[in-house]
Amino acid sequence: MRLAEEASQFHYLQPDYDRPLLEIPAELEQKVKIKLKQLYGEEACEKWYPELARICKVYYAYKSPQMISWDQKFDSSNRFDQQDVILITYGDLIHQEGEMPLHTMREVCHRYFHDVFNTLHILPFYPYSSDRGFAVMDFEEVDPHLGTWEDILDLKREFKLMFDGVLNHVSSKNKWFQEFLNQNPAYLDFFTVFSTRETISPDHLKLIVRPRTSDILSTYSTLNGKRMVWTTFSADQIDLNFNNPEVLIKMVEILLTYIRRGADMIRLDAVTYLWEELGTSCAHLEQNHIAIQLFRDILDLVAPHVALITETNVPHQDNIKYFGDGSNEAQMVYNFALPPLVLHAFQNADASILTAWASNLPPISNQATYFNFLDSHDGIGVMAVKDILSPQEIEKMALRVLEHGGYISYKDNGDGTKSPYELNITWYSAINNEDAEESQELQINRYIASRSVALVLIGVPGIYFHGLLGSKNDAELVIEQESTRSINRKNIDKAELIKALENPASTTAQVTHDLMQLIKIRIKEKAFHPNAPQRVLNLSRHLFSLLRISTDGDEQILTILNITAEEQSIKISLPYHQLSFGRCIDLINHREYVVRDMSLEIAFKPYQVIWLKYRTEYENG
Amino acid sequence: MNFETKEFAESEIVLINLPTRVAAEISEELKKFIKELVERKNYKLVMNLSQTNFMDSSGLGALVSKIAVTRSNQGDVRLANPREYIRNLLELTHLDQIIKIYPSVKEAVNSFEVKS
Repeated sequence: MRLAEEASQFHYLQPDYDRPLLEIPAELEQKVKIKLKQLYGEEACEKWYPELARICKVYYAYKSPQMISWDQKFDSSNRFDQQDVILITYGDLIHQEGEMPLHTMREVCHRYFHDVFNTLHILPFYPYSSDRGFAVMDFEEVDPHLGTWEDILDLKREFKLMFDGVLNHVSSKNKWFQEFLNQNPAYLDFFTVFSTRETISPDHLKLIVRPRTSDILSTYSTLNGKRMVWTTFSADQIDLNFNNPEVLIKMVEILLTYIRRGADMIRLDAVTYLWEELGTSCAHLEQNHIAIQLFRDILDLVAPHVALITETNVPHQDNIKYFGDGSNEAQMVYNFALPPLVLHAFQNADASILTAWASNLPPISNQATYFNFLDSHDGIGVMAVKDILSPQEIEKMALRVLEHGGYISYKDNGDGTKSPYELNITWYSAINNEDAEESQELQINRYIASRSVALVLIGVPGIYFHGLLGSKNDAELVIEQESTRSINRKNIDKAELIKALENPASTTAQVTHDLMQLIKIRIKEKAFHPNAPQRVLNLSRHLFSLLRISTDGDEQILTILNITAEEQSIKISLPYHQLSFGRCIDLINHREYVVRDMSLEIAFKPYQVIWLKYRTEYENG
Repeated sequence: MNFETKEFAESEIVLINLPTRVAAEISEELKKFIKELVERKNYKLVMNLSQTNFMDSSGLGALVSKIAVTRSNQGDVRLANPREYIRNLLELTHLDQIIKIYPSVKEAVNSFEVKS
């Protein structure tokens, strides 16, 4: 936390060219040039490398000597630790009349959450025209409805910050696109443009992987007549043409601006669709990886403390390719398979598939790890489990979501058919059915149990603000805003929130309290360090269990979770599961368990979570 | 509120004639009504929407409140004759992608007899 506070003061408002300029090591220059050549060819590389180098030098001139010294000492193998827990929020999720939302957010986070979460992911807070921030009109400004860059820096005094790099597309109101409409020659090649729809053959069209059912091409009137532009997500979100090296370089400049403004992590939004090339799927192409590697090379040079996080709602095996070799692409990857697999386990009271998947979740490297989330501003993506769950299982899960008051968003398969892309529902409503005749206590326990999975799995956990509060669906907002994603995006009145948080009988207070209690335990335990190895134990289909071992081998925590509404009991043979011997304590309920006959007998209440800590001193004692 | 129904004994289909307004004030009752039908093993349900000119999110929720159960028991919830307003609502919420919609009650009822 202290580092975050210090880092907020570590950039000047103006570049200082009186100090020595950045010297780019020859090895790094080579690495960058290789990638530029791979993407754009020899000639373009020679043309554009000097501009890239200039941008890096400009950024470096903004760094204070303290920042330069801090970055030099930065240990990338210790980038993440068990204290890293990310709260995901919109900048204006909490509002109070007469107050700027970012200021309100800071107050609430300071008062209730700052000793639990050390990182805030503020979803796009730039001026935008649609998609709640993801159609950016101006990348370098804070939306004046939310606050100012000073408000962002204020947040940084207590939290590390994650910014969105919405680099795949721009708003149709963005000045680059407006200049394209004006047919300004400097911007003609910033977008993927066709004069007629027929330019794309039906065969090519079929190949294109689509995350939406909307048209891939949108028609706009320009100074020189109508043009069709590539729009992966909506007509208001115009894809940038990364085949143009100038676009890539502009984006590097924007990423470095974000770092100057306080970003510790940058979420690369929709990076799956960065590169378009007819005749391919136009999704997670090799060029995407090269572009991310190039971003990483640059950040490793000028801002090594900043992590890149990729957001790619694609099949799990494709998703984890964004780690590269563990040292050259994203430092974190959204673990998209986790939410649907946890939901599947709880819906079916059967953790078998979750257990099997987690058993095969490889550790990445000491520099990179998983971003374990269950909910976000978007829905529960199901693409990641396309090859893990059968289509029937996915459909059954989706139908259960409908029964719980949620909705389903579809994608176009290119062959005239559509299939579920994401499930739109709050995590609380996905896990619990409001109409079920069961106690609030049971529902809260079920909810906390489901959330515990992301807190114990190898990686860094992230929790969406509505998930922290245990918010239920807001289906009316879906109709009002004509978007199924709005079900989980309600803005909250600050006074109402505080009232709910301070009313011990409310679901909000109980969920928040219980969840934060678990997090408070997690952040103290080195066995939960993102690099600490994990071993998944297959104890029973009704239990999800894994063992975390601290990197120094001194501490172990055996986590076991009853995913059913029934009581469960189990006798764990320690030799069979190669577990340590001795006494252990449940960190949650403080109950001590004693090994008898080389076995551990545990009785679970419905949805009980147990974190058993083994200590060397117990073994010796 | 009582919902007017018609049972087609030979095909185990239950037709439910929905009122002009399906919103918060009756959604809970509708959900309960559908739940009871499903508990009595009526898994083939046709919702006649020809009279319905207003529906809110709670009404939509009631329509699909047992859709997984019906389908896992070789049944379904199908809609007949929704007006344009309701059609737009179904489209907006993407429910039109998952619920089968028919222009008439007759076609909705007959659809259960055709392998789909």
